[in-house]
Amino acid sequence: MIEFINVDKVYPNKVKALHNINLKINQGEFVAIIGLSGAGKSTLIRCINVMHEISSGELIVDGVKVHALKGRDIRSFRKRIGMIFQSFNLVTRTTALHNVLVSFVPELSFWRKLTGIFSKEHKIKALTALEQVGILDKAYVRVDQLSGGQQQRVALARTLAQNPDIILADEPIASLDPVTARQVMDDFKRINRDFRIPIILNIHHVEIALEYAQRIVGVREGQIVFDGKAEEVTEEVLDYIYKGQVVTGDRRIIQGEKVHV
Amino acid sequence: MYDKIFPPKKLVLPNGKLVFEKRSRTPFIFALILIAIYLSIKFTGFGFGVLITRWKEFFYIIQEMIPPDWSHMSTIWQPLIDTIKMSLLGSILGSLGAIPVAFLASSNVIKNRLIVFATKFFLSILRTVPTLVTALIATFIFGLGTFAGTVAIFLFTLSYVGKLLYEQIENVEMGSFEAMESLGMNRLYAFRYAIFPEVLPNYLSTSLFCFEGNVRYAAILGYVGAGGIGLLLNEGLGWRDYAGVGMILLILILTVFIIERVSEYFRKRLI
Repeated sequence: MIEFINVDKVYPNKVKALHNINLKINQGEFVAIIGLSGAGKSTLIRCINVMHEISSGELIVDGVKVHALKGRDIRSFRKRIGMIFQSFNLVTRTTALHNVLVSFVPELSFWRKLTGIFSKEHKIKALTALEQVGILDKAYVRVDQLSGGQQQRVALARTLAQNPDIILADEPIASLDPVTARQVMDDFKRINRDFRIPIILNIHHVEIALEYAQRIVGVREGQIVFDGKAEEVTEEVLDYIYKGQVVTGDRRIIQGEKVHV
Repeated sequence: MYDKIFPPKKLVLPNGKLVFEKRSRTPFIFALILIAIYLSIKFTGFGFGVLITRWKEFFYIIQEMIPPDWSHMSTIWQPLIDTIKMSLLGSILGSLGAIPVAFLASSNVIKNRLIVFATKFFLSILRTVPTLVTALIATFIFGLGTFAGTVAIFLFTLSYVGKLLYEQIENVEMGSFEAMESLGMNRLYAFRYAIFPEVLPNYLSTSLFCFEGNVRYAAILGYVGAGGIGLLLNEGLGWRDYAGVGMILLILILTVFIIERVSEYFRKRLI
């Protein structure tokens, strides 16, 4: 379970990225965060694995007070959280298999870390992860020879090999074509269903978000302006999230205020 | 400023819209370069007259070198092998040493600005000191011979490969580094697994290229007593034994040529 309590995030350059965030995400949920570019979606997601530190408030993940973690504790906490990126963030000059193997690095002995020689068990685990996303045949192909969809699957396998408790995804399909985008979203859905891992993703494609996610969180100017089931998202709600105003004059939605539908 | 002196050219499109095209800076820069060339000729006392009257002397020396003195061969081998050993060992050690130094000098990996600045400063000092001077100092410390030469080449390689390596590191896409951090690695291991594989081919290529150059450098280190074939060259020139010098140069040219070809072959395969 992930719980934000009155979380604020201010960047060193005084930009206020998040303001008074209260959010609770339960085990096994599939949550899509939508909103304009620059609304704070990325910051929100990156706070969960402390890629960004929150400025005030509390952030509790599975009973761990994340905001109080330091140094080594942050790193061992991150091992439990998988992260998927828009630009895949793979090491392009090595094979798919090697890209998955890196997820075992934090638990290796010093000499193995230094030399990068992995054990047979780790290789089998990594290959299994590649099999789970259906690209076992590409295991020994260099990543820069793979298509965008295949690369995102390698990234997904890297995350699965980590055996994470939570998966975060920052615009996972933004650099993919519509067909591959759906395949990757199907992978997310399957992982969410089969392994009961909660998935939280930022996404620009609203239709896909509504189709795949159970829950939608709308973010505007660093605040949560909508939080509800995907079925409840109407045209007005989207207008409210993206433009901050209501076209049809719904009474419940007042400009600039937080609304739970 | 420039645009005020030379107002932009006005272009009118068929539909009446105006486009202003800024005047090219090229003539201005060209004029600056011409002035700079003129000034440097004045300051250095470069005289075309001397070039014309004396150029025959160069061919005189070349003529003296042909045919080379083949009897010199037997005395050349040992210093030649010393020269190659010196540059090979110095290049390998220098390239290896360049990795941690470049790591510390990369502002995208090391957060501490002081460390980054100090390491970069250290590298630039090392690069500024001419290798011949480094070799001379090394002979004072370690005595005459190839060891001093090896140290000089090591330091030069460290500064050269170190500089190019940290520039490559700083230009690497940081996405995979971020991914490694999100997996729970510290910055050192994130560097090892995200950045190192990306810069490795370039690093090896730079090191090989540096080695090529080092064979040539090593050939003159003997001038200051740092071992190798330079000692023979110095002697030969001192005695005006041009035929002997010709022999040394011939063998040196062949060696350097072979090493360059081999290194070039491997460098092409790396990238």
